[in-house]
Amino acid sequence: MSNSGTGPVVSFENVSKQYGGLKAVDGLTLDLRPGETVALLGPNGAGKSTSLDMLLALKKPTGGRIRMFGGDPYHAIKSGRVGAMLQSGGLMPEVTVLELVSLVASLHPRPLPVEATMKSAGIDKFADQRVDKLSGGQTQRVRFALAIAGECELIVLDEPTTAMDAETRRLFWANMKAEVAEGRTLLFATHYLEEADQAADRILVINKGRLLADGTPAEIKQRAGAKRMSFRLERVDEPFLLGLPGIESLEIRHDVVQIQTRDSDATLYAVLDAGYRPTEIEVASLGLEQAFIAITAEDDRDNGPARVTRQGSAASAEKEMSDK
Amino acid sequence: MSSASGTLALGRAEIIRLRRNKRYLFFTLALPIVLYLSLAKTATTEGGISFKIYYLFEMASLGAFSGAFNNNAIRISQERKDGWIRQLRLTCLPANSYVVAKIIATVALTAPQIAIMMLLGRFYGGIDLPIWQWTVIAVTIWLGTLIFAALAVAIGYWMNPNSVQPVIMLVFLFFSLFGGLWFPVTGGLKDFAQGTPTFRIVQIATEVTRYGTIQWAAVGVILIWLAVFVGLATFAVRNAAEAI
Repeated sequence: MSNSGTGPVVSFENVSKQYGGLKAVDGLTLDLRPGETVALLGPNGAGKSTSLDMLLALKKPTGGRIRMFGGDPYHAIKSGRVGAMLQSGGLMPEVTVLELVSLVASLHPRPLPVEATMKSAGIDKFADQRVDKLSGGQTQRVRFALAIAGECELIVLDEPTTAMDAETRRLFWANMKAEVAEGRTLLFATHYLEEADQAADRILVINKGRLLADGTPAEIKQRAGAKRMSFRLERVDEPFLLGLPGIESLEIRHDVVQIQTRDSDATLYAVLDAGYRPTEIEVASLGLEQAFIAITAEDDRDNGPARVTRQGSAASAEKEMSDK
Repeated sequence: MSSASGTLALGRAEIIRLRRNKRYLFFTLALPIVLYLSLAKTATTEGGISFKIYYLFEMASLGAFSGAFNNNAIRISQERKDGWIRQLRLTCLPANSYVVAKIIATVALTAPQIAIMMLLGRFYGGIDLPIWQWTVIAVTIWLGTLIFAALAVAIGYWMNPNSVQPVIMLVFLFFSLFGGLWFPVTGGLKDFAQGTPTFRIVQIATEVTRYGTIQWAAVGVILIWLAVFVGLATFAVRNAAEAI
């Protein structure tokens, strides 16, 4: 089942996970290519952890199929090709850090030297401490050490830097880049846009279990960095508004117009130049949270009446994904 | 590393943990020894055998069973909640290794505990039995620990750490009281107690000491309980697979 060719390392084919009436993951389709560093970005409850749990064979999809190295994820994991760090992964108490890392390394078919692993995870300083006596940030680094205790081809990290302070976080990513530089594929979930931006070659934005955008950080940032503009305007001319420069999305309720735009100045000038005199003009930057809300709202409209024109490669990449 | 030796490595780690756990050592080893030392010299007899023998079975069983039961149930429940079981599922170990390692550790640590109690009975209590009778007693108690370890796995997978404590207390109280591990069960209660594995374990030990015979009906009852609890444990583990 070796797959050293150019096939995808991971592929989700229309994968869903349903809990009772709730769809945690809803028709997710994506491929990870060898050597990529991919961020799975989304707010809390977006389905990131569920997706990773299914990828790591901890949960079974209720629909669709997940392949890892072209085969069953369970077998890939049991043959040691995946190093993973879970948000909810606990540690065995009552043993020392060194004992725990040695144990997990000894369970791996291709273990790495324990000392080197401890060093690159930055836990060699407290090797003889009891696991149950560590701080949150230290625990997180031990989890990371367990993920890289053996030679692996794919690293999967769920919210790896939660509970880490700024300095630890910086060190963590420095180590991570070294791991990836050796040709490994990295998939990590995060809700920090900045982190995805700095570390990833590619960002997958998911919300409510669906893939909303797939692109480079620059492409995604452009979307998330858009501004929201609203004003009142009598006799709304929808085709005109859709043709405004920079416009990403449009929403009209009675005489209130809401626009998401990449260039708020150009959009507003175009409205004024056309002779309109809107009132109650408001322009606001989209924060991270709002950017997600905006992207989600846009996605919801895709399923309703087509009222939006979209430009840019992130949008077309998203279109491709959501059309599948 | 093969999956068998991986499971053994995990079992070794479990043994290291248990040996560091003072609470575990107190209840499984220190307490039974102290109780036995203070009770063994009683001259009374019970059911035709002296109390110094009777208490030996009881204390050895209490220590071994409480270790296998209370300790495993609490830990499994807690480690399930903490996510250690999830973490292990990301290693190359087969899915059942966690439970198997727990049983290995229990069995490995219970054996010397039972042996210590038997030696105590022989050299402190002055109980003089042929080797084969000592062996029957030790193996029976050891089989009993498997019953309790299996039940502990089922409870640990079923219950959250908050609710597990009172439940195991009640269950253990039930089996130890009606099984006659604290004091001999007599009268009408005896008919009921016949059905418990604990009573039968003490019965085998008593019979072999008094008459040099093995109560095969008792062995049957013990094996039935073992089968039922192993079944429950298997069901609980499979059932929890998605919730871990």
